[in-house]
Parts: sequence; C-alpha cells; structure tokens
Amino acid sequence: MNNESQQKPRNILPDCIIPAMAFAFTVYYLTTITEVPWISQASAIVVSGLLLLSILAFVIRSVWRIRQHQETLQLKGAFHHLLGYAPISLKRVALLLLAIAYVWLIDSLGFTLTTFIFVFLGIVLLSSLSNWKNALIVSLSCSIIGYIVFIYFFKTRFPTGPIEDWLKGIM
Amino acid sequence: MIPEFSVFLQLFVDTLGFWWIIIPATILGVVVGAIPGFSAANTIIILLPITLAMEPATGMMFMVALYTSSRLGAGIPAILVNIPGTAGAAATPLDGYPMAISGRSQQALAISFTSSVAAGLITTVAAILLIPWLSQVAFHLHSVEMIVVMLFGISLIATISAEDKIKGLIAGFFGLMIGYIGADVVYEAPRGSFGFLELYDKVPLIPALVGLFAISEAFVVIERSTILSKEGEIDQQEAGWGPTFEGIRDTLIHWKEVIWTSLLGLVIGVIPGAGAAIASFVAYQQSRLMSKTPELYGTGHIPGLIAPESANNGVTSGTLIPLLIIGVPGGATAAIMAVVLEYHGVNFGPDLFDTEPMIAYGSFTAMLVTYVLLGFMILPLTRYFSHVMVVPTVYMAPILIAFTLVGSFVPRAYVFDMGVAIIFGIIGYIARRTGYHVAAILIGVILGPLLENYFLRALRISQGDLGVLFSSNIGNVLWLLLLLSLVAPGLKRFFKQSKSKNMPTNPD
Repeated sequence: MNNESQQKPRNILPDCIIPAMAFAFTVYYLTTITEVPWISQASAIVVSGLLLLSILAFVIRSVWRIRQHQETLQLKGAFHHLLGYAPISLKRVALLLLAIAYVWLIDSLGFTLTTFIFVFLGIVLLSSLSNWKNALIVSLSCSIIGYIVFIYFFKTRFPTGPIEDWLKGIM
Repeated sequence: MIPEFSVFLQLFVDTLGFWWIIIPATILGVVVGAIPGFSAANTIIILLPITLAMEPATGMMFMVALYTSSRLGAGIPAILVNIPGTAGAAATPLDGYPMAISGRSQQALAISFTSSVAAGLITTVAAILLIPWLSQVAFHLHSVEMIVVMLFGISLIATISAEDKIKGLIAGFFGLMIGYIGADVVYEAPRGSFGFLELYDKVPLIPALVGLFAISEAFVVIERSTILSKEGEIDQQEAGWGPTFEGIRDTLIHWKEVIWTSLLGLVIGVIPGAGAAIASFVAYQQSRLMSKTPELYGTGHIPGLIAPESANNGVTSGTLIPLLIIGVPGGATAAIMAVVLEYHGVNFGPDLFDTEPMIAYGSFTAMLVTYVLLGFMILPLTRYFSHVMVVPTVYMAPILIAFTLVGSFVPRAYVFDMGVAIIFGIIGYIARRTGYHVAAILIGVILGPLLENYFLRALRISQGDLGVLFSSNIGNVLWLLLLLSLVAPGLKRFFKQSKSKNMPTNPD
C-alpha cells in the first residue's frame, strides 16, 4: 500500500465556515439593494457574482475531492481543528469573552481601569493564578503608561471614566 | 519648475535649520506609525492647535517629518507581531513575519529600515526632478482608468494566496463585499449595514485592520510560549549586531528591487486616493511576478519584504505632488496638510514653487532630512526592537488586544468600532485556522469602497452603460496590462515546463 492511500482524508468542515459566512452575507446584501437604482446595484452585482462563482468552484472541488477520499466532511474533530485541544480551546473562548467584556465596560469605566482589569485577568487566565504578582505589575504598568502617554501627553480621544475624571480634577 | 542644484542645496541647508522641529516629529512619527490606529493623519489632527500656531513653513516641516517617519514605523509591528501599524504596511508581514518567527527579526527590521530609507531618498529626489511630468498623472486618470487601477489591486488577491487560489479569491471577494457595506456616494442608499447607523459611512478601516491582524493573531499565538519558533528562539539568543549588518547588506544587494518598487510607489502615490496599501501590494505582486523564485514569496523571502516597504515609502513623496501642484491631496495626511496650509492662506499651484519655495521644495527637502535622520537613528535600534519577540505570549496577547482595541476607537471615537474590531478578529481567526489569507480580506475591505465609487461615477456619466469601461485609450492600455499581468504567470510556467521537457535527458 502506498503512502497516499494510507493518508487520512482531511476534514474540510472548518474550511467551509468562511464560504458559508460569505454566502450568507452576500445573499443578505443582495436583499438590501433591490430597491436602489441600477447604477448603485451594478458594482455589487458584479462582485457578488464573482464571489458566488468562487464559492461554487470551492464546492465543486470539495465534492470531487470527497469522492476521491482525499477530503471528508464531518463534525467530529472540526471543533478541535478550529479552537485547538483543551485547555487552549477553553482559554481562547475565555479570552474572547474577556475582550467582549472589555469593550462593553470601557465606555462606563474608562480606559485606565478597564485596561488594568482586562490585562490582569488576561494574564492570570493564560498563565495561572499563582502568577498574580507579575500580572498585577504588568497590568498596572500598562494602564498607568497608557494614561500618561496617550491621555495626558497626546490628549488622545480614549474612553474616559471615573479614574480619568478624578485625575483631571487633581492635575 | 526643477530647481538648479545650487538652489536645491541651499534649500537643503535651510531645512537642516529646522532640526529642532524635525527631530521630535521624526521620533513621534515612528511611535505613532507603530501603533495601529494612531496614524500620522490622526496625530496631526490631534496636534492641529500646535501646527496652526506655527509659521506655515515650520508647520509643513513638522507635518512632513511626522508623516514620513510614521510610514517607516508602521513596518515595525508588522514584522515583529504580524500587526501592520497602518494599512500601508499590510503587505510587510507576508515575508517579514515569517522571517521574525524563524529568529531573523533583527535582520528583517534592518532590511525594512534600509529599504525604507533608501526608497524615501530615491523617490524624494525623483519627485523633485519629475514634478512637471508626475503632476500630469492625476489629470489623465478618471473614473474608468481608476477602475482598472483598482482591479490591478484586486488581482493581487490570487497572488497572495498562491497555495490555494480558490480560497484566496473567496477571501478577497468576501472582503470586497464587506467593503461595499454602507451608503453609496451618489444615491446615499444604505446597503448591507444590518441597520447600524455607524456602518452607513462604510466599514471603518482601522478596526478591520486591527481585528484581522492583531486580535486574530493574539488568539493564535497563545498556544506558543513566545512568538518565535523553537529554532528561532535559539537564533534570537545568539544574535549580536551581525543580523543588522546582514540586513543592510541584503538590501544593498537587492538595490534594483529597491529602486523600481520605490518608483512604482511614487507613481501610485501621485494618483489621488490610491494610497500606500495598493502601492505596497502591487509592488509585492510585481516583484513576485518578475522573480525567478516566486515560490519562496511568503516564506520569509528578502525581496518579498523589500518590495512593499520600498513602495510604501515611495508613496510618501508622491502624495505631496498633486497637493502642491493642483491642490488635490493624494491621501488623508496630505488632505490635513492642505487644510493647515489653506488656513495660512497658501495658494496651491505651480506658482507656489516660485512664491513659497520653502513650503513647496522645502516639503521634499524636509523628507530628505527626515530619511537621513531616520537612517542614523533607527538602524541601531533594530537589536533592541527585536527583543519584543521573546516577550511571553501570556503577557503579550492581553496587552495587544487591549491597546489595539483602543486604537480602533481613536479615529471615530465610537465604542461600536471596538466591537467591529472583535467581529473582524473572529473572522480573521477562523480565516487563519482554515487557510484563508487575512491580507486578501483586508485588500477587499480597502478596495471595495474605492472600486464602487469609481464604478458609480463611470456608470453615472454613461447613464448606466457598462461599455464606458472600455471607452478610454489610457483605460484600454491599462486593461491590456492587467490582462497581461494575469496571464503572465501561467505563460511563464508553461514556457518553463515546455523548456524542461525539451531539455535532453541524462542517460545516467
């Protein structure tokens, strides 16, 4: 038996996510241009046509390869391929949730406090709770340096909150 | 309009007298260029009260030095952490980052800096000498010609994704569709915006860049202890000053590459709206097309780093030409410069070179001085910048996410844009894990609105007739060139194969 026939077919289910997203978005987009004049539709119709053709080519190629047993399409293993094995997969999901919380809180808590909390929790999450001292030093340094450089010196439009308001009052 | 050498020398010496404003602007430019979201344009806007208070020539020196050095600074995070500081450096990680992962970050930085400085000096001198001719470029390129220029940009999608062209095309066209989100410029009809008012003005570019490159990269790298590969860690530890000199030598060996890609950047820079992102990707594609070893591109190949960096810096002087000659800025930063100069009552046009030589020619001599300064200031720092590579990912990932997310807030001050960055981060992460190139998506997002605008204008002029696309002589020549650049790789491969078939086989 040669090496080729011994090779396990590659699971392409994760590879289908981007084409599926692109297809869904294109269909949605086309529904939003039905009422606009032709001139405004033309360019989008050309590009969406090219995208749909590319997706069709991907589908035809995948079907052919699945028939040739070079590729397979199954749920098993797809999650691990995309997110990695535990504990990395769990850390990735937790970090994403932390990032969403960061965006959600920054408008009310401001850059300095939210960055401190996010960086501290992020480091502890990715290393361990025993690393809390280093996490504290790094997160404190980041938020203080960030405040001094961007808000105090460059007057950058960063989201402000209680810490920034308090510091503005005393400086 | 071309100054005599003695006049030019005098202007150069006079510009050196502005060292007190050029040096701080240069340092600031490198810093803001290296931070995604903090472009030169944003920084100049933030510092407008200072710039407006200066004399026009001094203000122009400050803005030009900041703008020039920010172009160079944008390449630093692109090489070290796969995050371009600006869209102009989006092609830099294609070969710069693989070099860094393999422990050659110091060499890659030296190549980037040397080619940037050399390209900046070459194109600034070329710009001064070619001003009368380059200023005509903007006059001859209308919407039809610009559509072909944009399609040149889109043809890069397949080049970048050489491993799997179908995936590359899906990623690129998906990016284009995302770029079409929002209201069109003619009818202002909102399309594909999911009902979000914040998307009526198109998808913001900085959050897209931050998400596709920075956020997704942060999620990918956490499975490694540092960004470096195992072999890279050893090479990095053993590195002294050698890689810096090696990088300088590598760039000088590829001097032809530096010259032609920087001149390409200069010409593209002259076209209003085209910008550094298109220039760097076009240079990358053309470099790969002409290379004898195109298969090495994307693996940490030196010409693959030189081409986009040279073109990116070549654009800098190009964007000033239409501004100074016809008052049409070539890019966002040039537009802000126009606002500042107009505030001071400066009238643009060919006469400016006679009435205000310190502003007109001085802008270019300020660039020369900045690039000379950068050469001395930044090359010795390559060894220290490269230490970023050994920072453990447990610290780097949260810091990257926090600062780049805030960077995506800065241009429009919308928290919504930070959410957009996270969405793009998720798309970018899935794309990276499944073999779709994030750069192809980004090219689409950048080119989408531009392509659509020119398409709309052309169709409006022709009252909806698609035949207008082939109605201009310059446009038709560009169509032919586009066709040639698309079929050339295939033809090259065909001739190579038939040549090897015809070769006599060795009887042994």
